[in-house]
Amino acid sequence: MRVPFRVGFEQRGETPRRLSLLVPLASVFAALFFGALFLVATGHSPIDTYSNMFQDGFASFNGITDTLALSTVLICTGISAAFAFQMNLYNIGGEGQLYLGLIGGAWAGIALGDHLPTLLMVPVVLLCGALAGAAWIFVPAFVRSRLGTSEIVSTLLLTYIGASLIKHVIYTPGSFFRNPNTSFPQGRLVADSASLDSFGSSRLYPTFFLALIIAVALYWVVKRTEFGYRINVIADSPKAAHYAGINANRTTIWVMLISGALSGLAGAMLIVGPYGKIEPSIITLGYGYAGIVVAALARNNLGLIIVSGILFSGLRVGGNNLQVTTDTPIHIGVMLQGAILLFALGGEAFRRYRIHVVRVHDVSTKKVAV
Amino acid sequence: MKMKHLKGIALAAAAVVGLAACGGSSESSDTTAAAGSDYSNLKVAVVYIGVPDDKGWTYQHDQGIISLESELGIEVKRVENVPEGDEAEAIMEGLAAEGYNLIFATSFGYGTPMARVAARHPEGCFQWATGAKFLLTAEMGGEFATFGDIPANLGTYFGAAEEARYLSGIAAGAASPTGKLGYVAAFPIPEVIRGINAFTLGAQSVNPDATVQVSWTKTWFGPDIEKESAESLLAAGADVLAMHQDTTATGLAADAVGAKWVGYNSDVSEAAPNAWLTAPTWNWGPFYIQTAKAVAGGTCPSDEYYGSMADGMVTLGSFGSSVSAETQALIAEKTAAIIDGSFAPFQGPVMDQDGKEVVAAGTKPELLDLLGMSYFVKGVIGSPKG
Repeated sequence: MRVPFRVGFEQRGETPRRLSLLVPLASVFAALFFGALFLVATGHSPIDTYSNMFQDGFASFNGITDTLALSTVLICTGISAAFAFQMNLYNIGGEGQLYLGLIGGAWAGIALGDHLPTLLMVPVVLLCGALAGAAWIFVPAFVRSRLGTSEIVSTLLLTYIGASLIKHVIYTPGSFFRNPNTSFPQGRLVADSASLDSFGSSRLYPTFFLALIIAVALYWVVKRTEFGYRINVIADSPKAAHYAGINANRTTIWVMLISGALSGLAGAMLIVGPYGKIEPSIITLGYGYAGIVVAALARNNLGLIIVSGILFSGLRVGGNNLQVTTDTPIHIGVMLQGAILLFALGGEAFRRYRIHVVRVHDVSTKKVAV
Repeated sequence: MKMKHLKGIALAAAAVVGLAACGGSSESSDTTAAAGSDYSNLKVAVVYIGVPDDKGWTYQHDQGIISLESELGIEVKRVENVPEGDEAEAIMEGLAAEGYNLIFATSFGYGTPMARVAARHPEGCFQWATGAKFLLTAEMGGEFATFGDIPANLGTYFGAAEEARYLSGIAAGAASPTGKLGYVAAFPIPEVIRGINAFTLGAQSVNPDATVQVSWTKTWFGPDIEKESAESLLAAGADVLAMHQDTTATGLAADAVGAKWVGYNSDVSEAAPNAWLTAPTWNWGPFYIQTAKAVAGGTCPSDEYYGSMADGMVTLGSFGSSVSAETQALIAEKTAAIIDGSFAPFQGPVMDQDGKEVVAAGTKPELLDLLGMSYFVKGVIGSPKG
């Protein structure tokens, strides 16, 4: 059967300013409406559910501090993804680089013992985590720049190896990272000097501010420095970059190493913050993968990552708590989170393309008339 | 109700008070009677690692929660699919803030988050399944300086599954013509190792040459990898498979080639009736009911509860049609001996894989040795290191 109209997509040259604001807003409302249909169908009040989600994610002391705590990690993995994506380098292995950050951070936190004061120890742990994350992406970066091997496949596959590595260091008796005093597989605690305190009764750690500083600093690097200019030129046109004498290979490697380091840093932040040791449950949480979504929501704009990271964290914290404060089943909370992301990303089409519907007068229309 | 202290831990835990300290069951029920049937001050919540319809670990806990609800006439708040770690802490904090004063958490990884919340909410009572409080001390990699710093409103509960594992091993050994058994196992941790060993000793009690080949999946819940592991064991010649997993994938794989299956957690013979032999199962209801009644009466049990077949926390599932009447009678006899204390699965002499004696003849291992078990007994094929 033919449909008597056709939908056309026409790429916009420049996105109108009003759409930049209107589309994300409309997307969120569309998602809330879509979710409301399910809520009503399952006998839950959409207004109560949404106000609870907002309350638990942003408007209560525990809600907002938990949201900012989670966003600490997601902002880091978000900029890790966005920093590579903006140069069309698809590092989707941030998850694995985060695992290595945990291992690198824990190594420093244990091996250096209590020899250094906290003020020095914490930066060293964070640096080791970042270096471990960068090391994990080195081979994908090298083969991408020299042989053009797809970094999508190589970084993703290394994530599985990273997960096995986490299990290995925790479940192998005698492992350096495992507590030697018990046959229960538990991570070995890092030195006291490598642990920060959270703010008051919250679960928010000072690393949150470091994440903000890094996001702003990288935004500045991309907008204002020669290195950032090179990234932009290569992203727009690799050929033009080549003729301009820019060494794309070297920039590719550096961008990927920085991307890996940022995910590694996220893992090390967990070590100096809430974990204090390698927690094998990290491989079930998907913080690295969530960074990809955070980057997508911010359209890879490093300045917007802070906003999208906090929004996404609030959605997750509020969604998790739906079960606690209401009778909404877990599946509804997860579905709502998914719907909001899907609509927000889908709304992109309206921003980038002009969409028009054309009536089609052809044979099929006549047939219907007959 | 019979309870056991964890030796050594009890020494360190001079401050520990709780139900177990009372001893006899008559005293417990007196307290209950005094509290009457007014449970209006009780708000109970349970944190699940999975969903109640998994037909395994979480399902079995939910059965216990359902019996608690009907016994006390209350409604229990269920929070499902909660990942271990930070997010679990946020959720338990939310529950405590909502006024839930008895919270059960059904996974090992909830320990640290739960202890942190317990410290902030002394008015609540917190119960950590499969936990062991000494693991929260700094010496063991936890974050409390000494055992005494662990919040007194935190208790743990688990049970001697090895008793039912041994009995299921008898059924498996008797049903295996070749004596080659397979075991799909999650993680190389003492709980799982203990189960494999008890199963092996049970099988060897009827078939001295029986061997048990182990395949590690490194996951509790992974239908695909469980199936692959089961198939690799079957391909290697095993004709009976046991498992320490949360799904029925092992049973389905055994059924597909006409092999036999010993399940775990739940009595789910209907999943593969032809393959089904039996299964070590859990009965959490009595513990949940007794703990809720104690809390309603003003006492938070903070002991380390280690249930058994004697108190009914550990049970053996129904028998499949291929377990002969003779085998069933033998199992019934051993069950009675385990319950009256005249027999224990790890009764010496027990040899490890290298033939070294690990439990001397005529002795039984201490509970703490059982809880920390890290060797395989003779006849197990594979490495306890994973």
